[in-house]
Amino acid sequence: MKLELKNLSYTYSGDTTFARQAVDDLSATIREGSITGIIGHTGSGKSTLVQMMNGLLTPSSGEVLLDGVNIFSDKKTLRDARFKVGLVFQYPEYQLFEETVAKDIGYGPKNQKLSPEEIATRTLEAADFVGLDRELLGKSPFDLSGGQKRRVAIAGVMAMRPPILILDEPASGLDPVGREEIFGGLLRYRDQTGATIIIVSHSMEDMARYAEDIMVMSDSRLLLSGSRDEIFKNADLLCSIGLDVPEVTHLVNELRRRGYELPDNLYTVAGAEAALRALKAKLQREGAGKC
Amino acid sequence: MLKDITLGQFFPGNSFLHKLDPRMKLILTLLYIVTIFFANNLITVAILTLAAFLLVPLGRIPMKTVLKSLKPLRWIILFTTVLNLFWVKDGKQLVDFYFIDIYSGGIVYAASMALRVTALLAGTTLLLSYTTSPIALTDGIEQMLSPLKKIKVPVHEFAMMMTIALRFIPTLIEETDKIMSAQKARGADFETGSLLSRAKALIPIFIPLFVSAIRRADDLATAMECRCYHGGAGRTRMNRLHYSLRDLFALLLILLFMAGIIALRWAPLPAFLGI
Ligand SMILES: Nc1ncnc2c1ncn2[C@@H]1O[C@H](COP(=O)(O)OP(=O)(O)OP(=O)(O)O)[C@@H](O)[C@H]1O
Ligand SMILES: [Mg+2]
Repeated sequence: MKLELKNLSYTYSGDTTFARQAVDDLSATIREGSITGIIGHTGSGKSTLVQMMNGLLTPSSGEVLLDGVNIFSDKKTLRDARFKVGLVFQYPEYQLFEETVAKDIGYGPKNQKLSPEEIATRTLEAADFVGLDRELLGKSPFDLSGGQKRRVAIAGVMAMRPPILILDEPASGLDPVGREEIFGGLLRYRDQTGATIIIVSHSMEDMARYAEDIMVMSDSRLLLSGSRDEIFKNADLLCSIGLDVPEVTHLVNELRRRGYELPDNLYTVAGAEAALRALKAKLQREGAGKC
Repeated sequence: MLKDITLGQFFPGNSFLHKLDPRMKLILTLLYIVTIFFANNLITVAILTLAAFLLVPLGRIPMKTVLKSLKPLRWIILFTTVLNLFWVKDGKQLVDFYFIDIYSGGIVYAASMALRVTALLAGTTLLLSYTTSPIALTDGIEQMLSPLKKIKVPVHEFAMMMTIALRFIPTLIEETDKIMSAQKARGADFETGSLLSRAKALIPIFIPLFVSAIRRADDLATAMECRCYHGGAGRTRMNRLHYSLRDLFALLLILLFMAGIIALRWAPLPAFLGI
């Protein structure tokens, strides 16, 4: 499913003295089936933007096109858009309410008016995607740990099987293992369903590892957008708006500056490690040749 | 959206009204209300309304905001005006058109009623809601009621409860908004369906809301205990309230004003203005 944003703007508390423009004339096309990251400093309008993508906020001006149809054109289209574009909020663990984890995950599918059998299969499937133990399904969501609650909340949106899945800071406040598991689940979801995934994040490391395309927001505007390699080449620009490139990229850039021959598209520790090993091997070989 | 509800519409500022002691403002408001009930003719209610609007520059509140806050009154005013116009049969008959009879008394009565309600709302909101922070207000109430501590009324505890409640209203509103959005994203529908299904649709909002409110209360209680809070006994304050010359001046002013209004009750006025 194709998602296009056309000249989107949003102003909070519109015509009062407290008016604040949170998104300003933003246009973009999200590549189908991609994992797109949205980065930007605090208050740059990321959460506002993603809430317009599924019609929770109505833009002050502009359009959100799903397969070419403006989702705000009528009530029914808008409601359908909520199911087609799944949105997981920042700190979603506070939205849990059912008696059991399984029922909570099944809340979205129930609203889609699916049959009980279908709801049950989707619940199991979603729990597997996020790596939630099946034993937990019968427990109360309030008895889970923070990380487990987060997974239940993400599964709750995945269970609706949206062709576009948006997550606002899905991994904030989790430990590295928890982060990896959540992102792993997102990748599995994308690979199995062919969905488009949009991830809002502050973590450059996560973006470098998982995002294929990246949109950079700064002061309510879209500053840059493009593939990961294109974006991370602009280290100086990113730093100038208070963002950063991954730590390891700084290291690689410093090494390059000192004359080591390394490629300029290393953003992950694993990639850098491989490149450094290759370089070391090469230097050793050359060194051996000289002797 | 929910965010648009402004509770305790306090306008931070530094004006004459802002600087008055909250206790004095409570007294002034009380006196002002009493004065409104003393006013018994069109001239005095008009003066009272005018006085209320004189507070607008004194508190440096935008006139637009004040007028907007009076907007909900329009239905009450419309309703009482219609009643008064058609049912009061004092004074001269002005209109006699089939079943519509309008008397001069009806008009006077309707006008003074409208002015009275306006004066009441404008005066109290300007003196209290707009220019007194909710915290200062509870502080004022606590100190005014503190004599009741002698007869074992837990005044401090009530005031603390009120302060906490006021502090958390915006937080709760924000949270409700967030939870509502999250459930809407999962396809919750609050707008259509029968009354029962709409009521049911609120469960996914209330449960998380209560859970987080209770969690917050628990956290707050722990935090307060960690700072050795143990109720009002022996507690001193960082910001003590004290009356100043300004407060005395305001009190004198309103007393004079009251005397004037009361005097006007017996002033020889054209009969048609009486109510
Ligand atoms: N409910 C609201 N009412 C008024 N202004 C708001 C509201 N929500 C956000 N804003 C303002 O809009 C701007 C953009 O907010 P938004 O939440 O979209 O930022 P963000 O990029 O998601 O930030 P963060 O990374 O901190 O989550 C901010 O300046 C914020 O102050
Ligand atoms: Mg945000």
